Amino acid sequence: MSLGLEKRGYGIKIMKNKIYELLKIGKRIDEREPLQYRKIEISTGVVEKANGSALVSLGKTKILTGIKVEVGTPYPDRPNEGVFTVNAELLPLASKTFEPGPPDERAIELSRIVDRVIRESKAIEVEKLCIVEGQKVYMIFIDCYVLDYDGNYFDASVLSAVAALKTMTLPVYRVVDGRIEAVPGEEMKLPMRTLPVSVTMALIRDKIVVDPLPAEEDVADTVVTIGYDSEGVLSAVQKSSPGLLPVNMFKEMVKIGLDSSAMLRRRLLEGVGDG
Amino acid sequence: MQYFSENELVVPGQILSDNPRQSGFGTYVREGKVYASVMGFAKSINGVLRIIPVSGRYRPQRGDKVLGIVSDVKPNAVEVDIGGETTAVIKPHERETTPLKIDIGDCVLAEVKATGLKGIVLATEGLQKIPSGILISVNAAKVPRIIGRKGSMLQVLRRETGCDFWVGRNGLIVVNGPDPAHEFAAVAAVNMIEREAHTSGLTERVIQMLRKMLGRGDEDSSN
Amino acid sequence: MKIRLINENGLRVDGRRPDEMRRMRMEVGVLEKTDGSAYVELGGTRIYAGVIGPREVHPKHLELPDKGVINCRYHMASFSVDERKPLGMTRREIELSKVIREALETVVFLEEFPRMMIDIFVEVIQADGGTRTAGITAASLALADAGIPMADMIAAIAVGKVDGVLVLDINEEEDKYGEADMPVAIAPHLNSIVLLQLNGRMTPEEVDKGLEMAQKAVQKIHQMQIEALKRKYRVEPEGLET
Repeated sequence: MSLGLEKRGYGIKIMKNKIYELLKIGKRIDEREPLQYRKIEISTGVVEKANGSALVSLGKTKILTGIKVEVGTPYPDRPNEGVFTVNAELLPLASKTFEPGPPDERAIELSRIVDRVIRESKAIEVEKLCIVEGQKVYMIFIDCYVLDYDGNYFDASVLSAVAALKTMTLPVYRVVDGRIEAVPGEEMKLPMRTLPVSVTMALIRDKIVVDPLPAEEDVADTVVTIGYDSEGVLSAVQKSSPGLLPVNMFKEMVKIGLDSSAMLRRRLLEGVGDG
Repeated sequence: MQYFSENELVVPGQILSDNPRQSGFGTYVREGKVYASVMGFAKSINGVLRIIPVSGRYRPQRGDKVLGIVSDVKPNAVEVDIGGETTAVIKPHERETTPLKIDIGDCVLAEVKATGLKGIVLATEGLQKIPSGILISVNAAKVPRIIGRKGSMLQVLRRETGCDFWVGRNGLIVVNGPDPAHEFAAVAAVNMIEREAHTSGLTERVIQMLRKMLGRGDEDSSN
Repeated sequence: MKIRLINENGLRVDGRRPDEMRRMRMEVGVLEKTDGSAYVELGGTRIYAGVIGPREVHPKHLELPDKGVINCRYHMASFSVDERKPLGMTRREIELSKVIREALETVVFLEEFPRMMIDIFVEVIQADGGTRTAGITAASLALADAGIPMADMIAAIAVGKVDGVLVLDINEEEDKYGEADMPVAIAPHLNSIVLLQLNGRMTPEEVDKGLEMAQKAVQKIHQMQIEALKRKYRVEPEGLET
């Protein structure tokens, strides 16, 4: 069962009216409070072949992230820093509105948001991922796959990527006769500075809701995602839909997002067995 | 000979009978024998073997009531999204003096007048515009269970929740009630029926759940 | 140095006997937004399959006036293999998508869906040998779960030859260092092959024997498919009130 209808280019009047009507008394169509997230489940280490992995469900939205580590050459301007990249794919079995083929603008926007939330919060201590300065560094490939889509893949993907990073292991390398080799039986955790999370909010008339459903996004004036680090500092913002965002509403979102980010980080820590 | 027990859950390819004349809906004949072609409950009705499917997309039949959202209004036709990436059309009569008062985004309940190569045509007679409510999509194969035998389940739902229900055979349902608590209870009941469609004692469990949700657990269930 | 794939007791690298399958687990109805779905685990191999349709054909010029069309995409997650797979479809994935589609097309009653299409998506989350056969087994479950009319289910397994011994259900190591790999998909009630490939050297006698091993295993897999389908629909015979 789901609320609303998939794939359309028009608003459904009765849903719009119902969402407005319920929000006036502080309710949503799926019984949640405006500032309440759906149920979050996190399981890590689900793909043994990956150096790290996490399956996260947020309500019916489900994201699988896997991380692979390779050794490569650093960028010339950052000779002693490791490298990481984020990629996201909207698998066609996740929604009737996703199509097979190269990533479309939605998939690219998703990967870039996950990347920014992690990169700009300096969550990964890239300077500790250097093996031989200027020559060999760790390269970390973070790949997020949307397996089931029922709204808000931004926050679910960030949770999944960070849970995989937090629980991953890397091989340890040493230099022998000018060549590097893995030290057998030795592994290390990824050095992390902070645990970034993102909070996605929809503005519906003059009300703000977190973790919107697709039916809510359809009637929303606009949708905003904000990334926060453990200190509550913002690391990324994306207004990911057209529409007017009054300045005072955005300021309100920054505050609401901060509260939600603390809750999400607690759930994340519980999920990775660190709570 | 019949190779299944009444109401047995059968899978595609399973042999059902030696008599090819018994082949009915959801079965096929190969080398003189009848096999199941879809997954569902096998039944023998007046000597004809039929499978009641447990899943699958809606396939429009003449006379079905379907629910949909108006997706386009063109000079000679109104298009209605009836879910499952399928569009039906309403063709207003040429001599109609008052044009249909429907707009894009409206929710309508209408009867299927024709299907086939020209697409799915909905009747203007008896067309209902639904004013407000929560729109739910369920698997169309579960709709008969939500309606119940001669509408019995719907009666229970209406009585217990005090909500109005508009049910389309295509799996789209609108619920509208006196207050959010009753609407949420109605949505939860629909969800439960869809999930447990093939289990016994469902009506009783639906009533119990609704009374618990709506705080009327101690009332007599025969009421 | 040559890797020994069969030890002095006749056992394989993972301790199995030559005719022994790895642990297999199946679950139906695991995805929310498809019309039918399944999850299959075979040893370390893990696969999701999803079916969407029948729906209108996109792009329109691919539609057929007298029957439906099937699209199939076999795709591996970048982290499903030892060396990270680059993004996008490889030649191998494109070939496997084609043979899997053809296997499934054989049993689906396409004439019931003129001008419609059915999408089948096979997503390999982890590859440890036997992904195409486990993928077909999963896709067949997803089709049944989607209520698509079919003449039969399909169950599949690979047989192979390692150190001169015929073995059932080869794993990744045996695939890499063995002499032959022969994936087989069978429609159990029709007792016919719907997919067959051979990669490596096998004598005609070995092919015969290998097929027999596959046939036996397919019966077992088919039984598991039926159980998985019935689990989803929790049958209680007296429960039907329609």
